[in-house]
Amino acid sequence: MPVTRSVPSWLCHNAAGPMPRAERSRSLRGGFIEKTLQAIAEFMHNEVFAEHLARESGLMQAIDPRAKLLTVLFLILMAGLFRHGFPLVMLNLWVLWLARSSRVPLGLFARRVWIVVPLFTGIVVLPSIFNVIRPGTPILTLFHLAHPMKFGYLTIPAAVAVTREGLAAAMLLMLRVGASVSLAVLLTLTTRWNVLLKALRVLRIPMIFIAVLDMSYRYIFLLLHTSSDMFMARKSRLAGRVRSREQRRFVASAMGNLWGKTAALSEEVHGAMLARGYAGAPKSISRFAMKKSDWLWLGLVLVVAGLLMGSDLVLA
Amino acid sequence: MHIPDGYLSPSTCAAFGAVMIPAWAIAARNLKNWIKSKYIPLMAIGAAFSFTIMMYNVPIPDGTTAHAVGGGLLAVVLGPWAAMICVTIALAIQALLFGDGGVLTFTANCFNMALVLPGITYIVYRLISGGSELTSARRWVGAALGAYIGINAAACCAGLEFGLQPILFHTAENVPLYCPYPLGIAVPSMLFAHLVLAGPLEAVVTAMVVRYLQAYSTNLLDVRALSAAPLASAPVSFRKLWWAVGAMILLSPLGLLAKSTAWGEWGSDELQKLLGFVPSGMEQLSDTWTHAPLDDYSLPGFDSFWSSAIIYISCAVLAAAIISLLTYLFRKFQNTESKVLN
Repeated sequence: MPVTRSVPSWLCHNAAGPMPRAERSRSLRGGFIEKTLQAIAEFMHNEVFAEHLARESGLMQAIDPRAKLLTVLFLILMAGLFRHGFPLVMLNLWVLWLARSSRVPLGLFARRVWIVVPLFTGIVVLPSIFNVIRPGTPILTLFHLAHPMKFGYLTIPAAVAVTREGLAAAMLLMLRVGASVSLAVLLTLTTRWNVLLKALRVLRIPMIFIAVLDMSYRYIFLLLHTSSDMFMARKSRLAGRVRSREQRRFVASAMGNLWGKTAALSEEVHGAMLARGYAGAPKSISRFAMKKSDWLWLGLVLVVAGLLMGSDLVLA
Repeated sequence: MHIPDGYLSPSTCAAFGAVMIPAWAIAARNLKNWIKSKYIPLMAIGAAFSFTIMMYNVPIPDGTTAHAVGGGLLAVVLGPWAAMICVTIALAIQALLFGDGGVLTFTANCFNMALVLPGITYIVYRLISGGSELTSARRWVGAALGAYIGINAAACCAGLEFGLQPILFHTAENVPLYCPYPLGIAVPSMLFAHLVLAGPLEAVVTAMVVRYLQAYSTNLLDVRALSAAPLASAPVSFRKLWWAVGAMILLSPLGLLAKSTAWGEWGSDELQKLLGFVPSGMEQLSDTWTHAPLDDYSLPGFDSFWSSAIIYISCAVLAAAIISLLTYLFRKFQNTESKVLN
């Protein structure tokens, strides 16, 4: 690695200076322009907030990013393999504890996990708890029909009821989705994006993909900024009502225009890369070092996963 | 259409990994030959573009707004391989950056939205547009139809993936482990939403963007013409990737077998019903299968329900206590270490 040796160490670290805290913009109600502006502002706000959190000192922040990435992926896999609610409940509680020790505000964590998951997964899974969708052992009969009814391939039984199997499956799915989302949120909130990308090397992902991801992240902000300007310019020139058709034409034109900017930008960036000596293969400078506590963390995760898997098998 | 983690079994995700890894390798190789070193900035900024237009709210006739996916549009302007890489990168950023899940299901999501959607869109677009002029009406009609069929093909794939879960993965008590909806419900409901709502929106948006480009900057409709390659780069070897494909292939059927799913749970009498006869080899095997290693774990003398329950609960409490203690000790150690290091 000649590059690593020739670059002085102070150049390899980003200065962790104070970053401006984003103010959450007041909720704008109204048409599609406001909604898009709102979505862009919220995205930027969340990103700045995550960067702040990742710079705090906490349990997860202190772990080597490679060890953290591998263990979180491993735990998400485990969450996919458990067949009972108990180990999933335990895993969820443990992740909550980890989040607390990493100074993640529990309110935010609860919002992003335990409000979103029941809202989306809960609604998706709701019909499946009735014996209309899937036959099973009834535990709560809702109402009786005179006789079973048939709609196409759906048969509505005479006694419409909540089934034990349906309820169990719904709980299992919610806990599983909850645990997976919790782990992913914990990883992203406690790891800075550029560090996380460098850690991806440990998964043997080709450097070229990581370079593309890295560059892409940077240009998302530029394109979002451009979009925000386009929508704001449109909004400030609007008076009165505009027909829906005309609005759609504006969005499509904005997309087409953005595509033009994208193509031009990639030409310029390519020129800039060549001017700086790019020779067809990206290089990465990363200096990670495993501390004792990182090895202990790997051990801890293995023991926890082993215990949870053990309890899952015992319940079988 | 974005499938979150938890809805698909890990072995399903591994199976899609086995499909996607060679697809990515082929796409990367094609692009290398086509645009050489311009590959990196074009793909990166293309992915950022794909990500950004997913955030645009499009007004729809009922007065509300919806989002377009944009995968079809990318296939039209960039070709299917470049679109595949762009959407893959955009999905990776969504999974890793937003933390919205989709980490394990990444491979399945990429199959639907990065392979099927742009692929089908491009085929339909080429069939209709043929060798017509860049300003021809056949271009935007082809793009619209392609986007419509492409998004519905992707939705159909997602429905199939959902629908296979309860058939393949459930417990002995018939509790589905992942998505609970069978094929007969999952596929029609996914298709209905996309045939009626998302599909027409995607088609209209794609057609309008293509018409905009036709009117203002025709050359942007065919990015291949823009990229004359000034620099030859070393050929990439993807040999190592084949090991990953092999691992994924091994993981997917093993996952099916190891979890004694529906396939292992057909008793002889059920087979009798299903097939009308019991294969003779099956009859012999059925004895082996009923003696699973963990079938009979309770201690002798603790046969009754209550004593088993006590064992369960004490095991659970013990596991919880060990996990708590170890986590507490780890945190202590980490704190002392950071004090020493600073």
